[in-house]
Amino acid sequence: MNKGKLLLLFFIIFIFSFSWSFQDVNHNKKKEAINYRLQQEGENIRYVNASYFSQIQSPEYTDGQVLVKFKSYFPEHKIEAAIASYRSKKLRKIPRINVYTIQIPEDITVEEMVFSLNQNPDVEYAEPNYKVYISITPNDRYFRDQYALSNTGQELIWIPGSPQGKPKADIKATSGWEETKGDKEVIIAVLDTGVDMLHPDIDEKVHSSGWDFVNNDFDATDDHWHGTHVSGIAAAETNNEIGIAGVAWECKILPVKVLDKNGEGDIEGVSNGIIWATDKGADVINMSFGGVTNLGKGNLPRTLQSALKDAYDKDVVLAAAAGNDGGDVNWPASSVYCLAVAATNYNDERVTFANTGGVWESNSGTEIDVAAPGEGILSLYPIELTPSGFTPYAYSDGTSMATAHVSGLAALLKSVKPWLTNRDIMDIIRYSAEDVNSDLDSGKDDFLGYGRIDLEIALVPLRITSSK
Amino acid sequence: MKKKLHHFTVLLLALNLTCLSFGQDQTEEPITTFTQKPGLGFEYFSRTINWDEDEYNSKMKACIFSFNLGFEIQEGFYLAAILGYSFSNLDGLIFRQLPFSVELQVGKIGGFLLGGEIKKTLITLKDFEIGLIGQFVYFLGKTDTWSIEKLNVEASVDGKPTWMRVLAGPVLIYKGYDYFYPYIFANFNKLWGTFKMDEKVQQLSGSEDKKISGKGLYGISTGAIYEVTNSFSIKGEASFIPIQNGVDLGFVIKAVYSF
Repeated sequence: MNKGKLLLLFFIIFIFSFSWSFQDVNHNKKKEAINYRLQQEGENIRYVNASYFSQIQSPEYTDGQVLVKFKSYFPEHKIEAAIASYRSKKLRKIPRINVYTIQIPEDITVEEMVFSLNQNPDVEYAEPNYKVYISITPNDRYFRDQYALSNTGQELIWIPGSPQGKPKADIKATSGWEETKGDKEVIIAVLDTGVDMLHPDIDEKVHSSGWDFVNNDFDATDDHWHGTHVSGIAAAETNNEIGIAGVAWECKILPVKVLDKNGEGDIEGVSNGIIWATDKGADVINMSFGGVTNLGKGNLPRTLQSALKDAYDKDVVLAAAAGNDGGDVNWPASSVYCLAVAATNYNDERVTFANTGGVWESNSGTEIDVAAPGEGILSLYPIELTPSGFTPYAYSDGTSMATAHVSGLAALLKSVKPWLTNRDIMDIIRYSAEDVNSDLDSGKDDFLGYGRIDLEIALVPLRITSSK
Repeated sequence: MKKKLHHFTVLLLALNLTCLSFGQDQTEEPITTFTQKPGLGFEYFSRTINWDEDEYNSKMKACIFSFNLGFEIQEGFYLAAILGYSFSNLDGLIFRQLPFSVELQVGKIGGFLLGGEIKKTLITLKDFEIGLIGQFVYFLGKTDTWSIEKLNVEASVDGKPTWMRVLAGPVLIYKGYDYFYPYIFANFNKLWGTFKMDEKVQQLSGSEDKKISGKGLYGISTGAIYEVTNSFSIKGEASFIPIQNGVDLGFVIKAVYSF
């Protein structure tokens, strides 16, 4: 090789490396900007397809309290007077380390008082009385708003009338997580509108850039919002201090775009998506969409049924949404190869036109296997599509959201017991469900199937106490 | 390696004492005798058990009611067959290989117990007697069925425990008192077994054989034999197995009739 060619080669390598690192810098800058935006207090969260918005504030420390330590030379008998000079009151003292918990006046914020005390030369330090949680409760900022995962009877401020949910009307996620938080090797394929792979609450959880069967390329980026929302419910990054918690903390998401930017797709795309996801090693396929045909109740397009059977025979758990129009169960949920998922609300009731003011109702039929929370569910919203002034999170409703909870549970089961077959996992999900509407329909019924899914019963060892 | 060394030391000690005994046999002719020594015994012990490759542990408690069909075939040499019934409590075991994981909290499980015992006096030094004791018992628990309550369909598990225990080691008996013989017994004490659990939930089924093993291999027992009459004696014994952060305890009460 002559000198000229060698120089040309070095030049090409240099340009290539430069552009590559430039792309990387751009990507990192974008992520930094997103993270900064997420850290800002007081941004609004959208309620998708709703005309009202809600304000989310998660307290990170105890209101009205500050911890303060005075310097060692400062006499103890003067401490109460010093605290009183800030119009505050000594509440308690932590012995040995001489830290005082003080009650501050109502008209001063914790941040202001901390700042003010730290200016005092006699004060060694002052800080908020930060809250801690038992280890299994994730530190995600909006976790307390995820009644579906842990319902304490909290006020649901984003739902009209700000109702209080019924305590324990949830999927018992925190108990289930004591047994497993999932496995990185377990993949949930989300057949939907794609996933926002740059969203900081899921970017580390995406298995690959997936496949886009709408545009036929390898970039399954979400241009709607639905796929990102569903993916977040199933497996958002959890315990990362921002956003929400996913059901399957550690499991991966495989985005498969089969619905376009209007949320529409066809049998061909969906069937291709099912087969592609199966071949790529998906353990669970989430299908939060549905269709109706005039083939008659329980009948499915044969192409779709073949694709579902192929996935089922290859040991994939299939979960699909029952539908939201109050009618018969949509396909693919109506297929025998799928878990058909209905929706409950914060009171463990089936979502009906009656309790949604006629907006939507969870479909019903003998095919319904289980139910999961589907009303007022908080999850991710694509960054690029988030209007200014809103956080990239949104509340939404539907059996789509309910299905994602079920897919998360399926992934957790596969994680903790990889030897189980898809059929075993589907049966465990069915039999462990809590029959929350037993007062109306005891046992399996057409509305909630076996009942609302329960991670505690499905995952945590059950105590056997009595002889049969 | 350290564990193996311990086993080797115990074995060496046993062999050494046996050799001493053989040496004695060469000079003193053993007195040939044949005495039947049937006995009734009760034993309770609590033992920390490890399972799932020592990742978890729980307590096993057992009560043993036994009939010992014993014979002293020559002076200082005693053999016995053990027949009995035992209640074993293995609560706390968790079976995670089943479709639905279950935790055992059923209390005692009954079953038959079979075994054997051997005692050999090796040397007598003034008021002290040194001997060897070996014992083996095998517990064959009966299969029990329990329902799984929290599921929305009928579900049950069938469980069957089995365990074995080997006790062996030297015993030092003080024979300076009349009718009352205190002793101390240092022993190698190994306990191991399996708990087989089968689960049936509609068409779902699964099975798990959980291996259990007693924590700690060496124990010490101390007790006394009280001769109530020439042909009737009572034995009481307390045993201790030191383990990390504690000690496992047990006791034995036994009545033996000789004729």
